[in-house]
Amino acid sequence: MTLLKRSDWYDIARDTNWTPSFVTEEELFPREMSDVFDVPREAWNVYDEPYKTSYREYVKVQREKDAGAYSVKAALGRMNFYKNADPGWLTILKAHYGAIALQEFAAGMSEARMARFGKAPGMRNMATFGLMDETRHGQIQLFFPHELVPQDRQFDWAHRAMHTNEWAAIAARQTFADLFSGRDAISVSIMLTFAFETGFTNMQFLGLASDAADAGDATFSNLISNIQTDEARHAQIGAPALKILIKNGKKEEAQKKVDIAFWRSWRLFTVLTGPMMDYYTPLAKRHKSFKEFMEEWIVTQFERNMLDLGLDKPWYWDIFLEELNDTHHGMHLGAWYWRPTVWWNPAAGASVADREWLEAKYPGWNDTWGQCWDVITQNVLAGRHDLTLPATLPVVCNMSNLPIVGRPGKGWAVRDYPVEYKGRRYHFGSEPDRWCFQQEPERYAGHQSLVDRFVSGLINPPTIPGVLAYMGLGPQDMGKDAHDYAWAESHRLKAAA
Amino acid sequence: MSAVPLVVNFEGDFVLQLVGVDSANTMDQVAQAAAAHSIGRRVKPRAGGVLRVSRQDAPEPFARAQSVADAGLQPMETVVVFWNKS
Repeated sequence: MTLLKRSDWYDIARDTNWTPSFVTEEELFPREMSDVFDVPREAWNVYDEPYKTSYREYVKVQREKDAGAYSVKAALGRMNFYKNADPGWLTILKAHYGAIALQEFAAGMSEARMARFGKAPGMRNMATFGLMDETRHGQIQLFFPHELVPQDRQFDWAHRAMHTNEWAAIAARQTFADLFSGRDAISVSIMLTFAFETGFTNMQFLGLASDAADAGDATFSNLISNIQTDEARHAQIGAPALKILIKNGKKEEAQKKVDIAFWRSWRLFTVLTGPMMDYYTPLAKRHKSFKEFMEEWIVTQFERNMLDLGLDKPWYWDIFLEELNDTHHGMHLGAWYWRPTVWWNPAAGASVADREWLEAKYPGWNDTWGQCWDVITQNVLAGRHDLTLPATLPVVCNMSNLPIVGRPGKGWAVRDYPVEYKGRRYHFGSEPDRWCFQQEPERYAGHQSLVDRFVSGLINPPTIPGVLAYMGLGPQDMGKDAHDYAWAESHRLKAAA
Repeated sequence: MSAVPLVVNFEGDFVLQLVGVDSANTMDQVAQAAAAHSIGRRVKPRAGGVLRVSRQDAPEPFARAQSVADAGLQPMETVVVFWNKS
């Protein structure tokens, strides 16, 4: 049978718009689900998605891609890679799967919102494929770690993490709920697909795929490269929506949504991707630093994307560039020090050789972050592991739900960014975090951080063991030093030399 | 007397921490309670000097003998603990 070329029929077939007669326009596209920008429906008729595909093409390509990923997994599964892999690499896998897998399903719901409530036919079409993408991503990223559960119970957190009150899970859940589960279709298109996916998933999926290939983990490298090709396609939903918003006088509101989504994504990546790239990846396989990846993928590319569309750089751009030097080091130190509270085993990444690498990539590291690690190293070498474990809670930001951190040691620069709202005191980790809250305080005011819950008596007993139980962490789940402190011995040898 | 959870920013450390004190505690006692969570854990001990407590951005620290209640510190208020000559 002769098939028409897609370009011959696509525009007509996807333009399934009609004028409602049984219901009102408002009933068909409720404002809070569809478009809080109030752009007239006819303005969306010019929406032109840059990437066009048909269902037949989608199924053919995705079937081949997924078959490739599953067959690589099956072939390499017999090689016992994971039984012999560096513990730091296993840590990356556990953190990634727990933070990402179920959120793919959440992203699927957001794609579904655009598929149903987007006013542009092209957006609805693209988002339908995006919904299928995210469903597949959720399934494959649950399936791959599942076979590792008998080997290591922490892999079970691929499925469990988002169902618990573990602090990093709260941070991820609250951030993603704000950026896309709890937004109208048009806001989803610019906050999820433009800011988060165009801006950041490149970092997690392409940057990490490169590290995975270097580390010899072809299964994971193949898996996340596969996912990123889908992300790169459906991430393009947002840019044409932004063009229409700007054309219809909504630049200021659109800019604000992008700025909120970018900042909140950045903060999440400081705890997820930053430690993976600069500390958990085995030193011999570590090439570019997190900062270098960020400068290449985010600073250069995303900044250009924004300016090309007619947006401005976010007002906090200089603060963001400054944070590239420090924030993820703080998130790493926090995750390591409070390691019983995470579902992965943080690799300290603080051997003599590690520290030389860190100093080269981040001049001044030894005088700042190294000052804290000096004390920790001395305690480890003296067998005082008790002093390297938490006796209280870090205070977490009421926006990111991550610890409020800053530069320690010489050049100490740590501060709170508090605000009073309706008689309650809120704490924030940065000026942009506080600014996000102040844009729509009622949206965020009711949420209680883990520390708020602790102080208000929701966690019993109000002790570290009580907190661990509240977070769903049993003895086999709690994080430990990934290398059983072997990294510290290099310092003993150096001192003896 | 009542328990007062404070948000503590300790000089040289990298993170704000939750530190429980009593409303009757003096500022020297608050400083010692805060130090237990930082010095010898991630902050090197210092010879000489005295740990003082202030509100964030306040020009002067609290008097060392002043109590938490007298200082008017509220639960979850942020204080800075830092070294001073006296």
